[in-house]
Amino acid sequence: MFASILDIIIDGLFMGGIYALLAMGLSLQYGVARVLNVSHGEFIMVGAFLTLALHTGLGMNPILTLVIIGPIIFIVGYLLHRTLFSALLKSSPSTEVFEGKSLLATFGLLFIIQNVAVLIWGSATRSYSYLASPVEIAGAITSLNRMVTLGITIAIGLAFYIFLARSRMGKAIRAAAQDPATAGIMGVNINNVLALCFGFGLLMAGIAGVLYSMCFGFYTTMGLGFTIIAIIVVVLGGLGSIPGSFIGGFILGIVGQITNTFEAELTLAAYYFIFIVLLLVRPKGIMGK
Amino acid sequence: MSKRLLLIPLALLLVFSLVAVSCDGDADVTTTPPPTETTVPPPDDYDTRTSIVIGAARPISGPLNMIGDYALGPLLDIWVDQINAAGGLYIDEYDRALPVELIIYDDTSDLGTMTTLLERLILEDQVDFIMPPCSTAFLYAAAPIANEHGYIFLGGEGGCTTLTALLPDLPYVFGVLNYSDYHQIPALADLFVEWGVETVAYIYIADLHGIEYAHTSESEFLLRGIQVVYSEGVPPEAVDLTPQLQAAMNSGADAFCAYTYPPISIFVYGQAMGLGYNPDVFVIGPGANFQFYYAAFGPMTEGLIGFGAWNRQTSPEANALVDLMVAATGDAGLALYGDEEGFLDWWGQLFYYGALQFFEQAIVEAGTLDQAVIRGVMATSTFDTCLGPTWFDMRDGGGGLLALECHPGQVGQWQNGIYEVIGPAANATADAIYPKPPFPAP
Repeated sequence: MFASILDIIIDGLFMGGIYALLAMGLSLQYGVARVLNVSHGEFIMVGAFLTLALHTGLGMNPILTLVIIGPIIFIVGYLLHRTLFSALLKSSPSTEVFEGKSLLATFGLLFIIQNVAVLIWGSATRSYSYLASPVEIAGAITSLNRMVTLGITIAIGLAFYIFLARSRMGKAIRAAAQDPATAGIMGVNINNVLALCFGFGLLMAGIAGVLYSMCFGFYTTMGLGFTIIAIIVVVLGGLGSIPGSFIGGFILGIVGQITNTFEAELTLAAYYFIFIVLLLVRPKGIMGK
Repeated sequence: MSKRLLLIPLALLLVFSLVAVSCDGDADVTTTPPPTETTVPPPDDYDTRTSIVIGAARPISGPLNMIGDYALGPLLDIWVDQINAAGGLYIDEYDRALPVELIIYDDTSDLGTMTTLLERLILEDQVDFIMPPCSTAFLYAAAPIANEHGYIFLGGEGGCTTLTALLPDLPYVFGVLNYSDYHQIPALADLFVEWGVETVAYIYIADLHGIEYAHTSESEFLLRGIQVVYSEGVPPEAVDLTPQLQAAMNSGADAFCAYTYPPISIFVYGQAMGLGYNPDVFVIGPGANFQFYYAAFGPMTEGLIGFGAWNRQTSPEANALVDLMVAATGDAGLALYGDEEGFLDWWGQLFYYGALQFFEQAIVEAGTLDQAVIRGVMATSTFDTCLGPTWFDMRDGGGGLLALECHPGQVGQWQNGIYEVIGPAANATADAIYPKPPFPAP
């Protein structure tokens, strides 16, 4: 009567892909820009609602909305860092003080975004139907929108990894992550790189929101739950490790799906269990250094 | 000696008889002054009172907001506005009409916060009346608190299966909404029998609402020989219901029910569409009863069943309530859903507004703000409301439930964009569609 193993793996990979995108974004923000952004999950919500607006309002294909929503959210993130967080950075005597101040600031951001969203979009769960038709893979049944979402998340994850590994900007970001002071001395425009990281982080959350909205209902107060999951994945993958977050997302997705299948009420508990075990056994995470 | 003893009661009897005669008004034994008209002293705040204050702890934020904002929430504002537009509530002991003020605190969808705020409204703010919080578990927690402080407690969005057993000890509690065993699942099960449904799979949210519906389903289906082939609890924070849907699909059940709250109620239908899971009967509640559900799924809802139920055709008063809601929330509905009826709830809103109209008339009839007196009026009176003649069935001298005869329907079904009442037959506004048609091509 239970779902088959292949069902569990496919659906786990799908959820894991969403988690992976989210966690990669948070990893950039915290691992490089040193901002533990608790409003991160709000941008998955914003991405989902913007997709709804473009899809139902203008009749746009949800996948194509990525080319509009992605840049908008990236610019918002970039500007947020260049204004709010760089001001906090300048006024902070140490990284620890900056982390504390920025954490409080992102709490404020969370409430502002959430309340504005409730005013604009209300509080009910919204959804739309896109590629909601069954697909059979080796006897397992899933939906076409999930398969498309999984494909896009894997493509974006790999593309972003290549960008970080091969491009000049990617190298600057990695340098800033390892030692911002030295990177600055070597000619890297640190303020710009940190703002880019924050922007890319939000971009990942926004993309996750677009993809999530294709498969699930969404509502304006859903963000915090995703932030918590993203934090767990970042710790699981290793703080600041983009590949670690990517792999960690998929691991958490599959673990969540297994628990969901056999004892749904323990799913959230399973996430926290993994979190606690990791902190005890391998605090650096899977790929942390 | 024994004769003397017998004389004593006889003497006492004589004395009592004389006293009794002297007390008889018609007797001429003594002359008593004519009775003077006793006047009730005016209340202490006769000169200073400027309004009637009604308070509530409601989910302005958090997940329950997506029920509260679309059910009782807007009706409270409409009701108060209507009273004030008419000059207020005339209270005899004040010799004047008093406007109504509404205080709503945000319980953030948190049970502990709700109970704290409810006690604050009663003890610190000393409001005159209270209104209910949102959801079955919250009603269950709030009712004994209100009762303990002698506050009338009208039910709101939530069932009372567990609370009903306590009603004899809760004289101030008045359940308003229909719920699992009063009389929704029995009505649904009767339809199942009529359609020849033999097997059912269901999931339920792991809180008091889900547990009540699951237990009632188990017994009501069993009574009718319908077999439950799959049942599973899901946590309130559940997002991905595909394992449960796949299990239900694999069970081959004729009918599938999801006793869940939004947002799960939205997730479950969207994911069923994705899996192509379309059993002969698909029931979701609460969730499917909201107009915003139709906004989310449109024609895909054809044949989907939920609880409730009422619509414009139920009665002229029900039609008028829709107009009232559209006048108050139509613009917001259009902006959010492209539908001026976007804030309509086809399960509870007719119940809630009927209860509010009943309460209003009971206060005026009592002519006082004394809760005990008003409670007495509520327990024994019938008033005309949007539900028609409305009264409460009182339980063993305790609290009561809105009489079953006042319910506009128990089971609803989406048909061509209208949430039709399909059960029980006496309330039906349309014939049921069975089996559920396939999902239309996207």
